[in-house]
Amino acid sequence: MTLRDALFAALAFLALVACNIAGGYVAALLRLPVPGTVIGILILLGALLAYGRVPDPLRRVAVFLLAHLNLLYVPAGVGVLAYVALVRNDLWPIVVVLFVSTFLSMIASALAFHWTAKLTARKEDGE
Amino acid sequence: MSEAGLAAMDWGRLGEGSFWLALTIAFYVAARRLQQVLGGTPLANTVLVAAIPLMAILYWFGIPVSEYQRGGWLLLWVLGPATVALAVPLYLNFAHVRVALWPMCAALLVGPAVAVISGLILAEAMGARIETIRSLAPKTVTTPIAMGIAREIGGIPELTAAFVIFTGIIGAVFGAALFNAIGMRDARTRGFAMGVISGGIGTARAFQESFLAGTFSGVGMTLSGILTAIVLPLVWLAFF
Repeated sequence: MTLRDALFAALAFLALVACNIAGGYVAALLRLPVPGTVIGILILLGALLAYGRVPDPLRRVAVFLLAHLNLLYVPAGVGVLAYVALVRNDLWPIVVVLFVSTFLSMIASALAFHWTAKLTARKEDGE
Repeated sequence: MSEAGLAAMDWGRLGEGSFWLALTIAFYVAARRLQQVLGGTPLANTVLVAAIPLMAILYWFGIPVSEYQRGGWLLLWVLGPATVALAVPLYLNFAHVRVALWPMCAALLVGPAVAVISGLILAEAMGARIETIRSLAPKTVTTPIAMGIAREIGGIPELTAAFVIFTGIIGAVFGAALFNAIGMRDARTRGFAMGVISGGIGTARAFQESFLAGTFSGVGMTLSGILTAIVLPLVWLAFF
């Protein structure tokens, strides 16, 4: 990695930070009950659609960050230690909800996707 | 984010926290090695494997979590821009996304709705407290977005972050077996359902299955985050 690459990577990361912060401002300004990060994704998507391609440094930084998402989740996981008291009180409902509703909703999503894909494919065949 | 669980942005004390930052990265690298050694099994989830020894160290030495977060907040802060980076695969896979538009809409509407409603009913029936129920509601959404939703609807963002992570781990660990059991073999179906429900951790797992599954998982995670972030606070404020 040359100094030039590092500089462009830093710029690409700053662009992501800027989208995230801008998203937060837009959400606050318009009083949207939507987290700023969501608006940030839409801002970047809009910018990419307008630009017509992904600049190389941005693609590299995005791939790197998304490959190591799990590292970024670790402090949030450790943070739950501060809430052990609250979790302990509702331990069984939490455990049951996490497992059962995750299983049910995953099956429901997969079936919804599968059946709709079959339905729309058949319609296209018929035309 | 000034609660004990997740410290605020605090550049001035990052020096004191850099030990914990380094330790977190070290445990994460070790967790990746372990998963590689074990043949990439979803059981050795890197978040779980890295977080457990850190929690044990804090607990064992009686160190408050706020002390750890003097370094830890930096990674959590990077999660915001990293989530914005999802716009890149979304843009790159726009053609794929357009073709599967209707199946994706169906899965996006049904999956999170089943998750929220089944979670609400079960948690109510089992007598969970209102803050817990509110914190559980956005658990299928990727962390930074879910924490924002929890804040909007009166949950505890830090608790929600933990629930998102556990939902991700449960999906990543059991998803493949679940899809096999109901005869879902198509990579797009498996990936999308995984991303919609199990977010970033599920997406990491889907990429191990195939590139197509991972791509659809990333798209599912982004779209479900956007949709749930818009719909859930509005529905919640209207009904509760």
